[in-house]
Amino acid sequence: MSGARRREEPPHAQQHALANGGGAGPRGSVWGKALRSDSAWHDKDEFLDVIYWFRQIIAVILGVIWGVVPLKGFVGIAIFCLINAGVLYLYFSSFRQIDEEEYGGTWELTKEGFMTSFALFLVVWIIFYTAIHYD
Amino acid sequence: GGSSWVTPSLNGERPLQSEPTDRLCATAHVSSARNIPEVFPLPFVLPPLKKRRPRGKPSSALGRSTAARQPLAPGSVRLCCESAARHAVPQGITWVLVYRTDKYKRLKAEVEKQSKKLEKKKETITESAGRQQKKKIERQEEKLKNNNRDLSMVRMKSMFAIGFCFTALMGMFNSIFDGRVVAKLPFIPLSYIQGLSHRNLLGEDYTDCSFIFLYILCTMSIRQNIQKMLGLAPSRAATKQAGGFLGPPPQAGKFS
Repeated sequence: MSGARRREEPPHAQQHALANGGGAGPRGSVWGKALRSDSAWHDKDEFLDVIYWFRQIIAVILGVIWGVVPLKGFVGIAIFCLINAGVLYLYFSSFRQIDEEEYGGTWELTKEGFMTSFALFLVVWIIFYTAIHYD
Repeated sequence: GGSSWVTPSLNGERPLQSEPTDRLCATAHVSSARNIPEVFPLPFVLPPLKKRRPRGKPSSALGRSTAARQPLAPGSVRLCCESAARHAVPQGITWVLVYRTDKYKRLKAEVEKQSKKLEKKKETITESAGRQQKKKIERQEEKLKNNNRDLSMVRMKSMFAIGFCFTALMGMFNSIFDGRVVAKLPFIPLSYIQGLSHRNLLGEDYTDCSFIFLYILCTMSIRQNIQKMLGLAPSRAATKQAGGFLGPPPQAGKFS
């Protein structure tokens, strides 16, 4: 009996943890939490990691689009900065409605992973632009 | 190693080979045949890039003369791939030699735990906090500093390996790509960056990109992402506390 009860507990506990968006789940559950507006983040670093990786994904996508179109000049860089900062700001203020002060303010969230994403954007943009229009 | 940029002739005669591309391909062929010692050989062979004829008008939209344009070296994608691989491979090896060891894992966990604890304590402490609490925090900072120092000693091996690889790579890339246009920039860089982006390149077309600029950008983006992906980057709390040891700590004013 006790063995059966013990066997039942872990699945319930796991479901409970997943329903609450509980902390140490697999990568899939972190991204699942990221895309739901109602889940809670118990670990601040996890949320900042999500912001970081979202920035990298935006950098790659915009780099490809800018390189294919092509979009040239500092206008391209300025629009990238606006989209990068703007989309993430909308994500954490409107979609997730988190308290920015918990993470050190809007500036901390805005600059999380920004330089790396900017460098990645430039690399992708330059490579696609060169490969499609010059190579 | 024949030229793949052969212009086909219309009347079935032997195709003409345009000189600049022939020279470019010959140069590329020579450079790949050079006995440049592979200090850190890749575990796979990159296929040679297939070249197409350039489409449309190059660069004239920027209003610059294209009369003296340098031929583009078939290197931008290759440089990026090699840079990515050569950052990933040393990181992988140092992961096996250093980061996987129990000592490193224990120290890292300890540093992260202490950093988070210290950060929480600093957040909750007020200016009117007692002397005892301040002393406690100072003791914790001291303990964290010691653990950070031990962690740095363990990391030293990996830092040496990565530094050695970086230096060897720079020498190798320099010998292959120096003086050659590796990519075209879709923008004209600021004047103080042109020294880097147009390094050792002929002509006044500042949209020509030298290898060093692209290599630095690859390093900034790819290395950081690989470290984060492999879990080798220190936690934010640890970085913040370590930064406080190098300079004035963030809340020093509160305790003065």
